Amino acid sequence: MSAGVLRGLRVLDFTWVLAGPYATRILADFGAEVIKVQSRKTARGAELNTTGYFSTWNRNKLSITLDLSCPEGRELALRLVGMSDVVMENFTPRVMPNWGLSYENLKKVKADLIMISMSGTGQTGPWRDFVAFGPTIQALSGITYLTSFVSDSPIGLGYSYADHVAGLFAALAVLASLEYRDRTGEGQYINISEYEAMCTLLGPAIMDYAANHSPVIPRGNHPNYALAVPYGCYKCLGDDKWCAIAVFTEEEWQALCRVLGNPPWSKEARFSTFWQRREHIEELNELVEQWTAQHNPGEVMNWLQEAGVPAGVVKDAHEVAEDPQLATRGFFVDVRHPVLGKTTFDSTPIRLGRTPARFRRAAPSLGQDNRYVYQELLGMSHQELSRYIEDGVIG
Amino acid sequence: MECEEKMALAGLRVLDLADDKASFCSKLLADMGAKVIKVEKPGGDASRWVGPFWKNVPHPEKSLSFWYNNTSKLGITLNLESKEGQEIFRRLSKRADVIVEAFPPSYLEGLGLSYEALSKTNPGLIMASVTGFGHSGPYREYKSCDIVASALGGQMYVCGAPDTPPLKPYGQQAYSTASLFASIGILLTLLERKHSGQGQHIDISLQEAVAASLEHVMVRYFYEGVVSKRQGNFHWNPSFCLLPCKDGHIVLSPLMEWETLVEWLDSEGMASDLTAGRWREEEYRIQHLDHIIEILQRWTKTHTTTELFELGQLMHLPWAPVASPGEVLDSPQLKARGFFVSVAHPEVNAYFTYPGAPYKFDRSTWNIQRRAPLIGEHNEQLYHQELGFSREKLNELSSRNVI
Repeated sequence: MSAGVLRGLRVLDFTWVLAGPYATRILADFGAEVIKVQSRKTARGAELNTTGYFSTWNRNKLSITLDLSCPEGRELALRLVGMSDVVMENFTPRVMPNWGLSYENLKKVKADLIMISMSGTGQTGPWRDFVAFGPTIQALSGITYLTSFVSDSPIGLGYSYADHVAGLFAALAVLASLEYRDRTGEGQYINISEYEAMCTLLGPAIMDYAANHSPVIPRGNHPNYALAVPYGCYKCLGDDKWCAIAVFTEEEWQALCRVLGNPPWSKEARFSTFWQRREHIEELNELVEQWTAQHNPGEVMNWLQEAGVPAGVVKDAHEVAEDPQLATRGFFVDVRHPVLGKTTFDSTPIRLGRTPARFRRAAPSLGQDNRYVYQELLGMSHQELSRYIEDGVIG
Repeated sequence: MECEEKMALAGLRVLDLADDKASFCSKLLADMGAKVIKVEKPGGDASRWVGPFWKNVPHPEKSLSFWYNNTSKLGITLNLESKEGQEIFRRLSKRADVIVEAFPPSYLEGLGLSYEALSKTNPGLIMASVTGFGHSGPYREYKSCDIVASALGGQMYVCGAPDTPPLKPYGQQAYSTASLFASIGILLTLLERKHSGQGQHIDISLQEAVAASLEHVMVRYFYEGVVSKRQGNFHWNPSFCLLPCKDGHIVLSPLMEWETLVEWLDSEGMASDLTAGRWREEEYRIQHLDHIIEILQRWTKTHTTTELFELGQLMHLPWAPVASPGEVLDSPQLKARGFFVSVAHPEVNAYFTYPGAPYKFDRSTWNIQRRAPLIGEHNEQLYHQELGFSREKLNELSSRNVI
């Protein structure tokens, strides 16, 4: 019946790689018309249309080509801005102004425009021009330092988590700005710092240092502030097989003991209360691991969960792809891609009961929507479009 | 009032029933102007016992984690497990736009407060539920928490080193991303409601929130059949690695801008054989990465992280020091942008430093309007002034542990 929550919303999308495309992907999943502006010159690496990476983060979007390094290209960009609600970009801060595409200029052609600039460290400040990718930001934010077993040997996450986080904040900012525009008639400019986005997810650690002046250190899989024990990641039967277990309540502790067959040690005084167990966490973890090591992680999880104890297999990518819970909920979806054939990607954790996200189309091929956007939307004639293509302005 | 109107979500009424699984969700909305009422059980929510604590003393009014996740909210107490409490909650929910909750899937249903029940009298109501696995599927009733979601969502397996167990990322990252997804869902449904007049239920799973934010991990599995492993000091590919310096660690890119990098090492007499022509081939460099790392490490150890960061960035190398929370607080960039916010806690006569917002809106206002509520701080305001309960009735409800 409806073509989605954001039907009628047009987003001109200059973003690339992951942080920006992840934000616009959410808007596209819920029905916004997201027009991704690409160029033959830059459609490489993460922006090469025929890769799995690109197809995962750019499904449901349209693609046009436009060479922004030439004046005619920038003129066309301004015309596209004139018919868009939202403009998003995640270049380094100098790029858009150098092209004459600053918010000041864009709002001259669209007074109530919402524009979002995302960059590593924000549009202002002494580090604004610093080059930053996910791992750079994660290091700066403290999460790389804190994600480790010991403080003199940081490890970090092994993937660009911060890009997702920045993308989520950007999507939230767009929607809040739409709400504001609906009420006041005003658009606005928003600048997002991926560095700050990552820091906001470490709030309590930062406040701890600020308020208590005590060093905040990595704790590995120690419960740290979670009121749980036993707690951690336990080795199971098999090569590199693990199960996470977290026992919060007395009931859960009793249930754990039952599943383990009420071993004599479970009755010992050192494990008799929560705080006793907490004090002897290392010994307790070892005893629990002696049990888990004899079983495969699926059994450990199921026995514990059936008894009411939080537990979960540490799943690798293959196991996540085959996970029965995710499968029942249709978390991964298949869409046919004209070049790649069957493509599979995560749907969305945003499950709206009445107006769910839709996965209508695979990621676009480079410039596949040039005719629709330039002719149907901008009203260009076929001859004009051909001339722009010949001149390489659209290309 | 004009000031309030400048906030993007002014006028939005939210009831927050969530513990630490999703209290960050309505904090995001409250700091943008929504009127969020945190509804806690009498005596306060269990998440008040989640540390760290101010002065390291566990106390329900001193949890820094609770403070952080509940800024700008009002707080009332209400016993949802009593009939009267349920009746009061129904009245509150009639006046609400949004409810955020993080109970096990059948809990509210058991109290007669499911979305279906509440939306009968308030068809525009939106309810966001954050649970371990979502409201459907075989694991629906299973229990979860941050580490369980991290494990089952595929995050832990790829964090850590090849010779260590899988490692949960610091903090409550599953809760944080689930909260972000939930807040986006809420604003989407609010926009939709303007057309349809109807609210809806939003079903957020911690496991899915984790599995949806793994960057390369699922992509490489689906397209290349690769099962990513723990990489220790390396990023998943060798484009970044983590090396020791005199005073800490630096994240650097051992393969990018190769000639610049080698020139730099050479100028300090530390390039060893890397100046040889064969190293210009990226293929060759990838094949002999261990050798490059060995030489780089000898060199990084002669520098401080700041030297390498500042000089590296001058050469457009995407490097960064591995910062501790103390160093984050000292960051000249964050200071220049006014990222940290000072929030008054009048009852202890002190100000505390909070991380601010990662977005700067040039029109609408974002701010932390007040510190997190004390237990039942706004009972009088809400029950007496808004619902019209007499003081006697308030006292009576309080004596029977309803509020």
